[in-house]
Amino acid sequence: MGTSPTTELTRDDYPLSINRPELLHTPTGKPITALTMDAVVSGELSAEDLRITPETLQLQAQIADASGRPQLAGNFRRAAEMTAIPDAEVLAMYNALRPRASTGAALGELADRLENTYSAPVCAALVREAAEVYGRRDLLARPAADSDD
Amino acid sequence: MTSTAPRTGTAPRQSLRTEILEARPVNLDGFVEEWPEKGLVAMESAFDPAPSVRVEDGQIVELDGKTRDEFDFMDTFIANHAIDVASAERCTAMPSAEIARMLMDPRASRDEVLAVTRGLTPAKILDVVKLMNVVEIMQGMQKMRARRTPANQGHSTSARDNPVQVAADAAEGALRGFAELETTLGVLRYAPLVAIALQVGAQVGRGGVLTQCALEEATELELGMRGITAYAETISIYGTESVFIDGDDTPWSKAFLASAYASRGIKMRFTSGTGSEVQMGNAEGKSMLYLEIRCILMAKGAGVQGLQNGSISCIGVPGAVPGGLRAVAAENLVASMVDLECASGNDQSFSHSAMRRTARAMPQLLPGTDFVCSGYSSVPNADNMFAGSNFDTEDFDDWNTIQRDFQVDGGLRHVREDEILQARDKAARALQAVFAHLDLPPITDDEVAAATYANSSNDYPFRDVLSDLKGAQSVMDREITGLDLVKGLEAAGFHDVAENLLTVLRQRVSGDLLQTSAVLTADFTPLSAINDPNDYAGPGTGYRLEGERWEQLKKLRHVTSSTNPETEVG
Repeated sequence: MGTSPTTELTRDDYPLSINRPELLHTPTGKPITALTMDAVVSGELSAEDLRITPETLQLQAQIADASGRPQLAGNFRRAAEMTAIPDAEVLAMYNALRPRASTGAALGELADRLENTYSAPVCAALVREAAEVYGRRDLLARPAADSDD
Repeated sequence: MTSTAPRTGTAPRQSLRTEILEARPVNLDGFVEEWPEKGLVAMESAFDPAPSVRVEDGQIVELDGKTRDEFDFMDTFIANHAIDVASAERCTAMPSAEIARMLMDPRASRDEVLAVTRGLTPAKILDVVKLMNVVEIMQGMQKMRARRTPANQGHSTSARDNPVQVAADAAEGALRGFAELETTLGVLRYAPLVAIALQVGAQVGRGGVLTQCALEEATELELGMRGITAYAETISIYGTESVFIDGDDTPWSKAFLASAYASRGIKMRFTSGTGSEVQMGNAEGKSMLYLEIRCILMAKGAGVQGLQNGSISCIGVPGAVPGGLRAVAAENLVASMVDLECASGNDQSFSHSAMRRTARAMPQLLPGTDFVCSGYSSVPNADNMFAGSNFDTEDFDDWNTIQRDFQVDGGLRHVREDEILQARDKAARALQAVFAHLDLPPITDDEVAAATYANSSNDYPFRDVLSDLKGAQSVMDREITGLDLVKGLEAAGFHDVAENLLTVLRQRVSGDLLQTSAVLTADFTPLSAINDPNDYAGPGTGYRLEGERWEQLKKLRHVTSSTNPETEVG
């Protein structure tokens, strides 16, 4: 048996932490079984080791799909893409999506950045959809040229 | 002649019985007539739309009487993301009575019902649940709850934001059975210290209890990212576009936020509830339940695993109109019947009447929900910074007795005094050690002793608030994480607590708690709708309170021994 699944996971693989720990690793490449108290005390672990990887989120997406939850799986796929984005930028992107916070052009640039810088096409599609709806519902910010400053 | 009849000197005489009734607590509650034009109506309004759906080229082009060009952003989001396009026309065309019967009929499995509900529009769902009385709603909930095993959530807060109190009360709450514990603040800058206290206390009481700190969206996410909290819940959504915008969000910003949480391995659910739109002044003339169903489907479309609903902080609004608490029970059912985790309210206090407070919880407690309360105040209500809960610490023994009377599992249990004192003492000492390790303002031995025996924040020595606030800021400035708490606990000899917290943190690497209705059991098994699916199929099936758990729940503070009536057991 290999360390990466060749077939899609099913609900029988859940919980992965108990049934398939060999599939789980940290962003620094350690197996989940390396997250021990000894490793904490010796300083081998950093906060980075306690983050989820995009691969694990894709596995959980497979399980969500196999459980009849396509929207939840879609959320996990967006999340997998977002693991690459720094915390502060994730928050900034969220704020940019608030009503009348961004111009249509700014949302377009955000979508491009997601797609090109972070290889996040599913997130980019969500932002482009938002931009279209915001345009129709008067929820875009006015372009800077229209402002007094 | 005067224009009004002269009043006699005294009011008409009341009967002695009326005087007694006038003095009853229920008459301090507020009640109003329905006003459907303003949305002040629970679930029966002539102004709600009739169900309709039309699909063209794989896209929903008509929804509940509106064509796509007339959609507001809720309609658009629901049409694009929540409703299964392939089955929408067929399912929405089914007679509502047939769907309502499926919800009740034990011979229709939960999965069979989900195959229908995933194709329903908001107005169709309303049309279905409007046919159901409250007993039928409870029968539906019994089957449609996502997780087989019910649970409960507690509030652990302090009127003085005292971290020592929060730690001790979290430990007691965890020991009593809450699977999740939530805190919030009076002074927001105290948040890092109180969130640390909640986490440490919870892991002392029972390893694996999940904690959260309710704050503004961005700060709440930051504490979660640091591993100081384990999940988030106060991500509010609303049923009309105008109120959603007043909340400074859209379905797309909230969907993005949902993914942000999952990307850090953090469990999250949205929050909504009947009455919020009318309370915020723009219900657009729709019934409370219709608007809440739009919220539920928006949450479903965002791919968030669950929802806290059941009116929540707006419970006074449905509580004031006819049929309001039936609508609240129905909104919990709708969340469950579209396959979301449901943390089912019974939180904010809404009535002066003990009878009404108890009755309000029956539609959730008797069938069982994923979290019967969201939450139950595990501090005295005077210390509850969520504006008070429907139940508090004074009600613990009543709650335990009701569980025993009806043989239902409301998630709590009676715990012996010596165990509680031990846990409270240990939680305060563990927090004392963590604060010392992190060079935070010291916790004295007097505070530890007070925490062990305290009831409320009044029973603790005053803390130096300015020093605490500086310490709280330093937690953020120094980028303290959950791992630092583990190190502090381990260094101070609280090895078991350190292991508990490390195991909770390790869960975010696995992502198991991201699946629907997930909690952690006492042996750290993730328990969710996937490995503990609700399999109710009629009498004798599904979750039954029996075996070891039932023996636990038979215990109360005072139970007379059958073999020696002079003594008590337990």
